[in-house]
Amino acid sequence: MNRGRRRSSVIAVLPMYLFTLAFVLGPLIYMLFLSFESRSGQWGVTADFTLRNYTRIAEPLFMKTFWNSTKLALISTVFVLLIGYPFGYFMARLSKKWRSVCMLLLIIPFWTSALMRLYGWIIFFRANGVLDTLLMKIGLIDRPLKLLYSYPSVVVGMVYVLLPFMIYSVYASAEKLDWRLVEAARDLGASRFGAFRTVSLPLTAPGIFSGVILTFVPSMGLYFLADILGGNKTILVGNLIYEQLMKIHDWPFAAAISVVLLLLTSIFLFAYRRITKSDLEGLV
Amino acid sequence: MKKVLALILSLALIAALAVGCAPKPTEPAVSPDASDPTPPEAGGTLTLYTWEGMFPEEIIAGFEAETGITVNYAVFDTDETMLTKLETAKGGDYDLVIADDYIIELAVGAGLVQKLDKSKLSNYGNINPIYQGQFYDPADEYTVPYGAGVQTIVFDPNFVDIPVSGYADLLDPSFKDSVGVIGNYRVINGLALKILGYSYNTENLDEIDAAGAKLLELAPNIRVIKDDSLENDLISGEITAAVMYTSQVTAALLERPDLAVVYPAEGIGFGVMGSFIPSQAPNAEAAYKFLDYILDAQRGAECFEWLGYYSTFSASDAYISDEYKPFLTLPAEFGETEMIGNVSDEALQKHELIWTAFRDAAGK
Repeated sequence: MNRGRRRSSVIAVLPMYLFTLAFVLGPLIYMLFLSFESRSGQWGVTADFTLRNYTRIAEPLFMKTFWNSTKLALISTVFVLLIGYPFGYFMARLSKKWRSVCMLLLIIPFWTSALMRLYGWIIFFRANGVLDTLLMKIGLIDRPLKLLYSYPSVVVGMVYVLLPFMIYSVYASAEKLDWRLVEAARDLGASRFGAFRTVSLPLTAPGIFSGVILTFVPSMGLYFLADILGGNKTILVGNLIYEQLMKIHDWPFAAAISVVLLLLTSIFLFAYRRITKSDLEGLV
Repeated sequence: MKKVLALILSLALIAALAVGCAPKPTEPAVSPDASDPTPPEAGGTLTLYTWEGMFPEEIIAGFEAETGITVNYAVFDTDETMLTKLETAKGGDYDLVIADDYIIELAVGAGLVQKLDKSKLSNYGNINPIYQGQFYDPADEYTVPYGAGVQTIVFDPNFVDIPVSGYADLLDPSFKDSVGVIGNYRVINGLALKILGYSYNTENLDEIDAAGAKLLELAPNIRVIKDDSLENDLISGEITAAVMYTSQVTAALLERPDLAVVYPAEGIGFGVMGSFIPSQAPNAEAAYKFLDYILDAQRGAECFEWLGYYSTFSASDAYISDEYKPFLTLPAEFGETEMIGNVSDEALQKHELIWTAFRDAAGK
């Protein structure tokens, strides 16, 4: 490559780097900085250096929100995997036409805001809502169940929002799968399940891993779900940060919690890299 | 590198899912009659700075027609935004601000508010004295109260069998998983303080701790904690009792007049929205004219019906229609009242802690 071309390619990517520096790195540094300062007055910040915000997180109640978030993320990820894996796997086996139909159906909901779609779930779950009416008509229940504002409805919302990411990852991996290998295993006497277990599953494992990380990491942050479907009773880290920022106006504490959350998710990502020794399948 | 970038981009996409809950964008400042091709005769401009939807259009239009002053209605989302802007403008730019009590205390403290010249307010005597002399303006030097939020308990008599007279009744096991409360921790923690007979504004950490323990007794009865449209849950039957914002109580009662409102026996807490003239207001005269215009008994009533908050002008009470009277005017007899004011940082941190513990317990 001659110098001229190299320079032009630098110019081409420069805006992107500057953008990232200004809008990703900049705020991050600001947040880190803020997390060591202290609050003053109703919502102000005084410049000093203190570790007080971090020691406050050690309060068992606040530590518990980290566990709550991790637990909810784990539960949601398991459900997403159980539903998303078969979906993505079999989608890859469909004819080309049906595959694109499926893909389209998966993408269309993204044209509306996630919040709007979640309000749909509220209508579905609420007292004397769609589900209640249906179950009462069938005669399974005789009075409204209290479905909305419960933990299960939060999990349903989580699974609903995150499912497509698992499907895409599994699909991307299953599509690349050489089906002749499965046929060979079957020819050599493997049962249907045996062939799946020894051939398909290991070959689609990268898709599972990236699906898990794509589900798990963002689910740590989908706090508004606990808010609108859970009646604000399940406190996730995100809720805590939101509350500190918007209601209590303790910005330094909110920043400190955010830094810890960021570290936690980085650890998850790092562990993923170490376990799979790869980047995310289906994304690159 | 490419892979890392792709990863960042995908995560950004996912993050975009979450933006649905971002706060509402601030409305640009608009003049309600911006489309009016013939502006009234020159009488200057009144820059009014408050939340959206604080006045019916007829009032603003009527004021413009009567005085020839053009109203420039600037909007803020939160009290904090208002104070920040006012600080940046050094008390200038705006002629009249309407905001919450606690922030006015801070604005006065920062020297951003000018003393009222009451001789310019012929209708000053219309103000209900209950709302005067409060913590944010003890000598009534700076503000005219405009609408008050009064903490009540609203319940659905069709589903509630026990008599409800105060906050303590909400702890009754018959309310299990049926109570909705707003997400305002000073109000809800305060409810527990009141049950125990303490002040909303206590800075005694032991008292706040005791309130925290009381809240844990309430927790099993909590079905939902939220600020937005809690009234809909009461209307639809999702919850059977609620402690909510006054505007929500008004909305619920307009939809379901059969709902019952109780003034808690433990004492009534209230919040006031106050109007004040910033220290360097460019057109303070216009602000006086506007204040006097809305202080008129009949116009005041019109405003409060529109606003859905308690009338702060006793002269207006008589003009409030019967439909609205039960929830926009205070009854003749009521218990003690206390406002929620600013408290020390230590007390606030304790409040945060018991509030988080309460929400956590409610989820179990």
